[in-house]
Amino acid sequence: MSTLEIQNLHVSVGDTEILKGVDLTLHSGEIHAMMGPNGSGKSTLSYVVAGHPHYEITQGDILVDGESILDMEADERARSGIFLAFQYPVSIPGVSVANFLRTAVSNVRGYTSKEADSNANGVIGSNLMPMREFRRELNTKMKEFNVDSSFARRYLNEGFSGGEKKRTEVLQMAMLEPKFAILDESDSGLDIDALQVVSDGINKLATEDRGFLLITHYQRILNFVKPDFVSIFYGGRIVKTGGPEVALTLEERGYTWVEEELVSGVVPA
Amino acid sequence: MTVLLKEPKETVDEIAGFSQETVRQASAAKDEPTWMLDFRLRAWQTFESLAWPKPTDESWRRTRLTGFKLENYTPFAVPNGTVERNDLEPDLLNALDEMESSANLIFRDGGLLYGEEIEDQHEDGVIFSDLQTAVQQYPDLVQKYFMTKAVTPDANKFAALHAAMWDTGSFVFVPRNTKVELPLHAILSQGDRVGGYHHTLLVAEEGAEVTLVDDLMGAENAFQATVVELILKDNAKVRYMNLQDFKHTAWNFLTGRAVLGKDTDLRWIQVSWGSRLTKAFLDLDLQGEGGHGELLGLYFPTRRQHIDHETLQLHRAANCFSDLLFNGALKNRARSVYMGIIKVLPGAQKTDAFQRNGNLILDRSARADSIPGLEIEADDVRCTHAATAAQVEDEYVFYLMARGLTRPQAERMIVQGFLQGVLDRVPVEGVMRKLEKVISRKISR
Repeated sequence: MSTLEIQNLHVSVGDTEILKGVDLTLHSGEIHAMMGPNGSGKSTLSYVVAGHPHYEITQGDILVDGESILDMEADERARSGIFLAFQYPVSIPGVSVANFLRTAVSNVRGYTSKEADSNANGVIGSNLMPMREFRRELNTKMKEFNVDSSFARRYLNEGFSGGEKKRTEVLQMAMLEPKFAILDESDSGLDIDALQVVSDGINKLATEDRGFLLITHYQRILNFVKPDFVSIFYGGRIVKTGGPEVALTLEERGYTWVEEELVSGVVPA
Repeated sequence: MTVLLKEPKETVDEIAGFSQETVRQASAAKDEPTWMLDFRLRAWQTFESLAWPKPTDESWRRTRLTGFKLENYTPFAVPNGTVERNDLEPDLLNALDEMESSANLIFRDGGLLYGEEIEDQHEDGVIFSDLQTAVQQYPDLVQKYFMTKAVTPDANKFAALHAAMWDTGSFVFVPRNTKVELPLHAILSQGDRVGGYHHTLLVAEEGAEVTLVDDLMGAENAFQATVVELILKDNAKVRYMNLQDFKHTAWNFLTGRAVLGKDTDLRWIQVSWGSRLTKAFLDLDLQGEGGHGELLGLYFPTRRQHIDHETLQLHRAANCFSDLLFNGALKNRARSVYMGIIKVLPGAQKTDAFQRNGNLILDRSARADSIPGLEIEADDVRCTHAATAAQVEDEYVFYLMARGLTRPQAERMIVQGFLQGVLDRVPVEGVMRKLEKVISRKISR
């Protein structure tokens, strides 16, 4: 059982404060949906947790099992069990999905624990997961998560459709087996079939030892993935947290409800 | 296999310096036939008649020779004779083990250090020999092709100097319709502080097939003026790799030209990793109809390295195809220059020619200049050129790091991905792995 805690998190880019005191606790086995309009800072929150270097944390802390992760680089956070499924995964020409994933999996599982020392000498990849073992696992998971086996050889996200990119993100999550997964709008831009596939993937991975922060703009994905908690994110902070019924109210009444009743203070957040 | 004359040290000291007399003595030391001495002396005259490169010359505008003094480099080194395989240094043994080959030659300091005969092909008349030996053993062939068909001494100042002073070199001759299965491998391990003039002369007769790998290393604080000549008769197929990994203190000048006959097929892979400064002139000369020539380049200068490639795709005959792709990554304060021309002469209709140069900049202080060009005198052709320069996107690095890759791993993967378009076309697997290792070594330091 692990815990991811975000405490009074304030984050700025330049002079602009984007996150204005975010508090959230996520336990293994929980699915926490975070809903909010565009520009409210949801993606910033996901980037900051994953360790993007361009944000300045002016106040607050992020803890995994009570230990602050703020001093960790993105790769150390990944190795400590945090995974971010990107809203817009980048395409990297010339780098095959299999090649990249083998290095990633080897690092996260500790095959390359000796590598930190050898990096200085430039001997990278001397402690990779054995190729056959990796291929076997990758093939199994590609089948399980509905990713065509040809994707292993394809260059990372290059020429992938929106749905293919999101499915590949889920496949990566399945291979990396994180403790906490933050899914940044993994439902955006998907047609209903693709949404079904991505949702199935998330449900398969939603085990007792894993916590999910499901960031979304729309209620739609929550028809497929059942959250334990729903928060509404607005203006750089969480303005309401409750059960699945919050999503339904939001669906019915829209963000005007949030603005009028939650933010202007008619109903205390 | 080779008789090498070892010169006493005092003789070398006497002739240190560059003059016609140096040329005479160099030739005499090798006991060369008169025709070669005459050739050298004519080349020396050419060298003297050509002006030293000036910053106003188009070829030298972006590559300055500030700090380079020819007279600092002993004109030629004294060979020590050959050794057995067991006596080779670990570096050289490694280089031999890295790829499977038909035969190997290793050169050091003006002579052959180690040589192997080709076992299987010898009966078929395949020659893979030290060039000094070939001058003695195959004078007709060498005299016919040596700096007469591809690179001539007047190509540039350094080619002329090379023609007068050349010391080590390989001679490859593959007779008509003969195929050499495994690559031929020639290694130059140049010593410190000397001038070197390494030559590659490859002749593939009609329908012949061969792969040659030139491995260039060493040359601490040294100077090297290399010439590469590839001559492809009709229907010949040649794969050639020039892997230059000199020390970062070496001055390196390369003049290379491939001459392509009718329906030939050439792939030339030029890898420029090492040297303090490289200026390389590389030409594809498509003389027969239906020729297919590929010129692929990789470079990855780091620190203060300066790498300059100047290329020419010369289409003289109709229905030829040429494809040039030079991809480079630059780190620290490195500098690269790519300058290229596709030249289509009036008779070369239905020419299909490409020229692309891509640069990936890892540090803001690195700089890549790219000057592609076309000169077209035929009206029914398809020629395209493109140059790109891109920074390594922070978002790429973050994405990979968010998946657990360290920063050096992420950078290496992005660079390798960028260079993959050329790496994919390296025909020898052992060489490809070797190139990948150099990329990661360069990323990490």
